[in-house]
Amino acid sequence: MNGAHRFGSKCDRPKATDIHFKMQAPVEHRWSPYADNGGTCLGVAGENFVVVAADTRLSQGYSIHTRNCSKVTRLTDKCVIASCGMKSDAITLHKHLKARLVMYEHQHRRQASVTAIAQMLSTTLYYKRFFPYYTFNVLCGVDDEGKGAVYHYDAIGSFERVPYTTSGSGSALVMSVLDAQIDKENQTIDTPALDKAGIVELCKDVLSSVGERDIYTGDSGEIFLIDAAGISKTEFDLKLD
Amino acid sequence: MAAVEEPQDYLDVLQSHRGGFSFENCKRNAYLASQVAIKPPTAMKSGTTICGIQLKDVVILAADTRSTCGPMVADKNCEKLHFIAKNVYCAGAGTAADLQHTTEMMESQMELLRMATGTQPRVCTVVRRLSSMLFKYQGYVGCALVLGGVDVTGPHLFQIYPHGSTDKLPFTSMGSGSLAAMAILEAEYNENLSVEEGKKLVAKAIRAGIFNDLGSGSNVDVCVITKDVGGTILRNFEKPNERKFRAKHAAFPIGTTPIMKQEITKLVSVEEDVVMRD
Amino acid sequence: MMDFMAQRPVGQEFVRHVEDGCPYRADDVMKPEQAVSTGTTLVVAEFDGGVVMCADTRTSTGQYCANRASRKISKVHDRIFVCRSGSAADTQALTSFVLHYLGQHAVELGKQPTVNTAANLFKIMAYNNKDHLLAGLIVAGYDDKKGGQIYSIPLGGTRVRVPYAADGSGSGYIKGFMDANYRPGMSKAECLEFVQKATALAISRDGSSGGMVRSLVITKDKVEEAVIEGNKLPVDL
Repeated sequence: MNGAHRFGSKCDRPKATDIHFKMQAPVEHRWSPYADNGGTCLGVAGENFVVVAADTRLSQGYSIHTRNCSKVTRLTDKCVIASCGMKSDAITLHKHLKARLVMYEHQHRRQASVTAIAQMLSTTLYYKRFFPYYTFNVLCGVDDEGKGAVYHYDAIGSFERVPYTTSGSGSALVMSVLDAQIDKENQTIDTPALDKAGIVELCKDVLSSVGERDIYTGDSGEIFLIDAAGISKTEFDLKLD
Repeated sequence: MAAVEEPQDYLDVLQSHRGGFSFENCKRNAYLASQVAIKPPTAMKSGTTICGIQLKDVVILAADTRSTCGPMVADKNCEKLHFIAKNVYCAGAGTAADLQHTTEMMESQMELLRMATGTQPRVCTVVRRLSSMLFKYQGYVGCALVLGGVDVTGPHLFQIYPHGSTDKLPFTSMGSGSLAAMAILEAEYNENLSVEEGKKLVAKAIRAGIFNDLGSGSNVDVCVITKDVGGTILRNFEKPNERKFRAKHAAFPIGTTPIMKQEITKLVSVEEDVVMRD
Repeated sequence: MMDFMAQRPVGQEFVRHVEDGCPYRADDVMKPEQAVSTGTTLVVAEFDGGVVMCADTRTSTGQYCANRASRKISKVHDRIFVCRSGSAADTQALTSFVLHYLGQHAVELGKQPTVNTAANLFKIMAYNNKDHLLAGLIVAGYDDKKGGQIYSIPLGGTRVRVPYAADGSGSGYIKGFMDANYRPGMSKAECLEFVQKATALAISRDGSSGGMVRSLVITKDKVEEAVIEGNKLPVDL
């Protein structure tokens, strides 16, 4: 602001012919049926056991709804499912799966195998191909041969049996650590594979680390260990910020 | 390397002396965005909790130390309290780059003013200069500030919005955690608090933001500005978020990463028998 | 002011691209921050020997109340004040420019400037930059030429002299009340009560107005400020 000021000088306003006016995209306001409630889960298969870990924060946007909400549901005595994404869809999906498994048990007089549940989950998800459940699932259990099984899904039912996997808001951070520590990718020296306690320790460490960098992961973690003895659960604290 | 353009006439010279931002690529970028779906770069915005209180003869500012980039924590222990003059500090929320440059610019302006006039800068001077600048850029410079200081006229606390509006208040909070922090301040603020009580209050307000707002986190920084001492930053005044668990990993043995090729290049060659001539 | 506007970034017209389906906060360098605006109730009325100005004290950013005890009546000169509504940044900037120019003018003049001059300065600023401003103003004050005067300067930059005026988001609720109850030639006390009552009524109906009722009585001899706290408003709810 130096020199003489004159009233009435017009500033150069954009004209209707200017390029940015032509390309002004229409603004659409609409309600979305989906929400992202954040959170991270992971599953690691061992020779005769499987470890599932997940945090318990339920959030939306910049606010925390609750600090203690489990993402993991027990489906049978040797199978659990962990779901990230939208909580209401996860609840619906888990309820639906449990109902189907009760019917299975009545019809077949035994509990469904992990492989059978895996297939059923896939069809259940694909059934809603054009209005999907907004859930990203990890299905874990011990199969009929007694081997640890981990299945990874997308939201519409594409699935794959994998040695380890992760999903949710911090999954990108988790995967790189699992690749290095479990798969030992790009490592030339053989180091002994982690044992059961080592994998549990690793899962705890990974979730603690993700809690440092992913704002949607935190509060507390839970670890499910499934082996021949059944399902056991341990809990541990994460950061609250 | 691009050639440096020589000023062609007095208009160019005038332009180069005027300073400010360069907007030369705005139209080009808009055109590119319309032709191909190019996303403009996203800035680091700190979802933040900052607050400040004014007491009898002291101003106390406080901030959290998390800096985010979308859902990721970009910096777990960043500094959001900025030095402007010995007796004026500010806490910033909004676009990280804008905050850093705006406060640095104000720091240099105030130092030049101090040297030119031989007097201590006043808080209202800083406020006026900041609001004029922010108004000029119509909200595109994303600085939301809580500015505090003590000058010859006493303690002052201001909040400044990105569009350049200002408010003078006894207590304020800004950033994504401002609602959580304001809840504490509204409940417990009182102008007769002692300095120690004041420090505790702002730290409690920031803690509310840290724990209840996902954009804020990590530690509490506090800045106390008094008439005699000026401002003192109490870095990491509280650390309520230490890591709770760390596994003991076996280190990767040397040689874990394969060496594909090894080559040693001599970057400096030493000539032994150089004869110097005149 | 004019220079400021001429230097405005061209980037303002930039089309914004937010990632599709991104659940996180749209975080874009080219996007200006949300504006702070004064969803307001302003009431001003002339009486025998001066004017009374009245405003609520709520300043909001969207849903959030950024300041619950703000001052929307700003001083322009000894006996000239302005009630501000619209964008807080725009009206504050406008007021400080007029304050500056009117101050210079008063020094050159060697006596008190007229309310007419002040209102005219506001009008020129508001009209010339109407595409960029969101400012509704009521300029009022007292001078020896015409006594108490009120000039309303709504959004486009028109200037009209009125015996009483209401502006801001809350004004719609009370215009009928004002038309029915305003009488020319009221006493100071009557006028103050009338204006405070009108503001309180608007506060009780308008969500964007609230807090306290600040009032200012400008007469030849003095300027009196008063505040009614939010829990002592002169209305039965």
